[in-house]
Amino acid sequence: MADADLDFTTGDAGASATYPMQCSALRKNGFVVLKGRPCKIVEMSTSKTGKHGHAKVHMVGIDIFTGKKYEDICPSTHNMDVPNIKRMDYQLIGIQDGYLSLLQDSGEVREDLKMPEGDLGKEIESKFDAGEEILVSVFYSVYLKLEPLTLQIAILLIVLFILGSTNFYFVLFPPLQITVLSAMNEESAVAIKAMAK
Amino acid sequence: MMAAVGAPEVISQLESAAKVLMAPPSMVSTEQRQHAEHIFLSFRKSKSPFGVCKHILETSKVDYVLFQAATAIMEAVVREWVLLEKNSIESLRTFLLTYVLQRPNLQKYVREQILLAVAVIVKRGSLDKSINCKSIFHEVSQLISSGNPTVQTLACSILTALLSEFSSSNKTSNIGLSMEFHGSCKRVFQEDDLRQIFVLTMEVLQEFSRRENLNAQMSSVFQRYLALANQVLSWNFLPPNLGRHYIAVFEATQNVMLKPTESWREALLDNRVMDLFFTVHRKIREDSDMAQDSLQCLAQLASMHGPIFPDETAQVSYLAHMLEGLLSMINGIEIEDSEAVGISNIISNLITTFPRSVLTALPSELFSSFINCLTLLTCSFGRSAALEEVLDKDDMVYMEAYDKLLESWLTLVQEDEHFPRGCFVQPAVQVFNSYIQCHLAAPDGTRNLTANGVASHDEEEINELQEDDRELFSDQLASIGMLGRIAAEHCIPLLTSLLEDRVTRLHGQLQRHQQHLMASSAPDSVDRKVLDDLYEDIHWLILVSGYLLADDPQGETPLIPSEVMEYSIKHSTEVDINTTLQILGSPGEKATSIPGCNRTDSVIRLLSAVLRTSEVESRATRASLIELLSPQMGKDIVWFLRRWAKTYLLVDEKLYSQISMPLSTAFGADTEGAQWIVGYLLEKVINNLSVWSSEPELANDTVELLVTLVEKRERANIVVQCENWWNLAKQFASRSPPLHLLSSPIQRTLMKALVLGGFAHMDSDTKQQYWAEVLHPLQQRFLNLINQENFAQICQEEAVKQEIVATLEALCGIAEATQIDNVGSLFSFLMDFLSSCIGLMEVYQNSPETVNLIIEVFVEVAHKQICYLGETKSMKLYEVCLTLLQVYSKNNLGRKRLDVAAEEDQYQDLLLIMELLTNLLSKEFIDFSDTDEVFRGQEQSTGAGRTVSAADVVLFGVNIVLPLMSQDLLKFPSLCNQYYKLITFICEIFPEKIPQLPEELFKSLMFSLELGMTSMSSEISQLCLEALSPLAEQCAKTQEKDTPLFIATRHFLKLVFDMLVLQKHNTEMTVAAGEALYTLVCLHQAEYSELVESLLSSQRDAVIYQRLADAFNTLTASSTPPTMDRKQKVAFLKSLEEFVANVGGLLCVK
Repeated sequence: MADADLDFTTGDAGASATYPMQCSALRKNGFVVLKGRPCKIVEMSTSKTGKHGHAKVHMVGIDIFTGKKYEDICPSTHNMDVPNIKRMDYQLIGIQDGYLSLLQDSGEVREDLKMPEGDLGKEIESKFDAGEEILVSVFYSVYLKLEPLTLQIAILLIVLFILGSTNFYFVLFPPLQITVLSAMNEESAVAIKAMAK
Repeated sequence: MMAAVGAPEVISQLESAAKVLMAPPSMVSTEQRQHAEHIFLSFRKSKSPFGVCKHILETSKVDYVLFQAATAIMEAVVREWVLLEKNSIESLRTFLLTYVLQRPNLQKYVREQILLAVAVIVKRGSLDKSINCKSIFHEVSQLISSGNPTVQTLACSILTALLSEFSSSNKTSNIGLSMEFHGSCKRVFQEDDLRQIFVLTMEVLQEFSRRENLNAQMSSVFQRYLALANQVLSWNFLPPNLGRHYIAVFEATQNVMLKPTESWREALLDNRVMDLFFTVHRKIREDSDMAQDSLQCLAQLASMHGPIFPDETAQVSYLAHMLEGLLSMINGIEIEDSEAVGISNIISNLITTFPRSVLTALPSELFSSFINCLTLLTCSFGRSAALEEVLDKDDMVYMEAYDKLLESWLTLVQEDEHFPRGCFVQPAVQVFNSYIQCHLAAPDGTRNLTANGVASHDEEEINELQEDDRELFSDQLASIGMLGRIAAEHCIPLLTSLLEDRVTRLHGQLQRHQQHLMASSAPDSVDRKVLDDLYEDIHWLILVSGYLLADDPQGETPLIPSEVMEYSIKHSTEVDINTTLQILGSPGEKATSIPGCNRTDSVIRLLSAVLRTSEVESRATRASLIELLSPQMGKDIVWFLRRWAKTYLLVDEKLYSQISMPLSTAFGADTEGAQWIVGYLLEKVINNLSVWSSEPELANDTVELLVTLVEKRERANIVVQCENWWNLAKQFASRSPPLHLLSSPIQRTLMKALVLGGFAHMDSDTKQQYWAEVLHPLQQRFLNLINQENFAQICQEEAVKQEIVATLEALCGIAEATQIDNVGSLFSFLMDFLSSCIGLMEVYQNSPETVNLIIEVFVEVAHKQICYLGETKSMKLYEVCLTLLQVYSKNNLGRKRLDVAAEEDQYQDLLLIMELLTNLLSKEFIDFSDTDEVFRGQEQSTGAGRTVSAADVVLFGVNIVLPLMSQDLLKFPSLCNQYYKLITFICEIFPEKIPQLPEELFKSLMFSLELGMTSMSSEISQLCLEALSPLAEQCAKTQEKDTPLFIATRHFLKLVFDMLVLQKHNTEMTVAAGEALYTLVCLHQAEYSELVESLLSSQRDAVIYQRLADAFNTLTASSTPPTMDRKQKVAFLKSLEEFVANVGGLLCVK
């Protein structure tokens, strides 16, 4: 596979797997490494021991791979590791043996992503069979030094966009919580081009 | 009366139904239960059930059935009153009373229910001259004199039931009669029967207080009568003449001050009454339950005021007697825990109720012993409150009592010009000293010491929700600060020397730690205890100093308190101004090491002491001892400096009749002192922001200090001359450490401060340079980022997102900095961003928190700027908002929200959109834009191609919002309020657009209005009423009948009519409802007449019919035929007020 962006062992060019951030500067809904796992922060609060103590930050995060809950409490001056989270958009061009064939902007095709199980998978399949155009967004973290074989589990979330249709979906892909999705990416690009003027 | 035909069948049916109802839930089905309930309901509704009920009472053994029979009698008597023979009512009452008397072992709830029925009969009969219910008092007094405790208890229950029935409070039963009836009953009752009850009660108390030994049973009777006395003294007396607020007689009876009518003079204005309660209290004070009642009775007596006093002399002698009693009570005893709150209530009531002139007319010896006693009591409660805190008690009775007393002090000394000069100085010194003592560590103070002198010191976890002491104890601190001003002569030097001492010790302690650190590489085994004690001492000293030296009024210029000013002036001749400035200007040195330090201005010296604290802190951060410091102390310091700066910095001499030389020399405009201190504060801010980024609260207090420094032009002028200011601006613009570590709300406020500073006085080159440093980098970074080729690919990366978020936060900060004289430039700057922000809406549509932040930028811009914008600029803003809404709407199409039980913050976007629309509309109310002819001409020429109006934007927005606002969402208070605010605004401003709404939207809008009017809080109900008039006027304008709006308004006419005439409503709402009613009446005159007719025809009583008919005639007399004319409307509103006062009580039923 020639895609540098997907090289999980080294991280992509220029971006390290994680970068440090002062604990107090983290935000809810952001990402952080808790107990060695990349997590999305779902709760954050501060406390102190005694009136003259220093602030401590209490964080609850959900492992973006396994959905497990992790908690940590640390001094707010502490530097935490923040995982680099990336997102890639692909067009679905085929389904083979339970694997998706995804076309990248660069023209290359990726075929190592398994079709999500359950209703979502069925839905993708039927929409695809009906000839609808389907856009898949894959979020992944370059944080974990994964063996290539376990690469698939690094896929966080598969997002469905069905072009030319008013149906939008909440897609629950285990391990993550439900995410609300909508609209098309084409227009985003247009919007950005407009902004540049 | 109906014969008891079939009574046995009825009884067995009821008894088996009762068995079902009483059975455990697992034993019976829901249907069985409902069926059983239905049996009782229909039984209670049956016609003339008296015979059956009597039979039941006499034969049934099932308590619940007895209870239901009593209820049935009560309801039927009221229902069938006019049809019943007077003597049969009389005999029914006698029957019930005898029944209870003969059965001392009845279940309590059955007995109370039967007595309730008796009380209702008495009340219903009290206005019926033909039937004599007075005999009940005779009977009761006989019961009391029986000497039999059981019978006496019963008598007490009867009186209590009567009292609740006649009080017209929420305790009163619902008997379906008009408010006017309830009101008249209450009035008659309080003039006569209530007094009789009081006299009876007093006799019983007298009797008991004489007895030597009370057995348990007697003491329980005693307790009941004491509670009854309390109930009488807490009676909410209805004033003799019908006030217009009379309609709201069903008030909650809480904290009623005793204001009896004149006729009570003989019964209450008698020293023996008061004496009796003092005697009673002495007797039972060890019983904490009873003591509460007896003290409450005394507190009620202490609150007595109104026509009962013939003149001020009577008031003076009453108060004098009260005080004598109180003093002899307190001085002779050691106060029990359970007495503290009661005693403080008595004192607080006395001080609030009696006018200053009465207090000053007291014999001076009595007054001063009272003040002495109050002083000792305050100090003692304060100490006990501190103990409660150490022991971490759940029930903080002394704290509550202490709060009450401190509040009373505040009331007293705030008007101290009435009292002999200086009479509060010594007491103030004592209370102040004891407060300080309780808050300082040993050996100077007693903080954290338990009663036997053992120090307790445990570190508890404190979460972010816990309020800071400065807010938690703000009332206490305000009182102590006020007392400190009264005794400034003592208190200011005391605070100074204590603070200077603690700072010196802190400095030494930190130095020792540092040496230790340098000497050994081993981790310092720091004993935090010594440090924490010092921090806690300093914490309280700074809080008290802050509250003493300055107030923090919202929205007005705080002034130096006159006591502080006078104190400084008084000593200004002894003061060496140079030494004072030297002390001020050398926070790094020990104050006492400066020669002549005793000849310094004490007010400045106290500030200097805080600056010394600040300096020790700053130096410790530079020496990398930050771990050892207390962020709490850091907060205290910047909090104090901010409060101080608002009041003292660049003191404006014009605001004071006299000014202290030292203060004006040190902090006046154009003084070196002021310049120096601005520089110092700025340095402090910068230091804090870089070393304390990890402490959000401290950083926030710090950045607020910065805002204070620049929000006033005079101060800002000095600030921008400091090099540090420019460094701060550059550093922030470069978004590099340490400032970018600050949390986003703090960065936002920092941006606001930097923008505010930019409008200080600078020459144009400098100004240009300043903006180039502050704003341009922001724009540049933003444009560079979003113009990158691969922005679409990288936009979701955390680092990119963070950059975007930081920019959006900064934009909000810029909008927040808007003032009338900078709006022009800020608007153009922000407008450039707004269109780019819309692009971001697309990019980040799946990142709700970013979307919310984008909308928030629009909300802030509209909120802060629209009122200043001229036509062209407003239109630009409308346009861009419309685009935002379009994108938002498109992105929301078909979007399903996660689940209905979701939390409020999931709907943040909806709330923000509504806020945005409301802000856009607010221009119609508040508009400061320049209407100067010259500008107008310009505006019009450019605005000729007017494309978008506020109405377009808002209606488009409403199209988005309305379908999303479900009834479930209205349960969230913030969404509900914002929604109704918005739709009311729309109806008021664009009534002509309402009929053009699509049918579904129109319907849901009308439904929302109805819902808001009928089943929401009174505020929302008022908003909806306000929306009705413009809608009705709109209908009148178009003159089209049978339009949906026309039909809807007809429906609203009925709703408003019922609301005004038939329901109990808030008097504040009469005006809004009246205006709505009037316009609706104009529109639907025929329907209105029908409503009046049908109401009148339902009246059976001829007198009431006539009164109502007359009232309705007068109501519309001034406006016939009704037209939409302001004058007529005003006349109508006036008549309506009279109408409500006159007959409102007739129709409103309880």
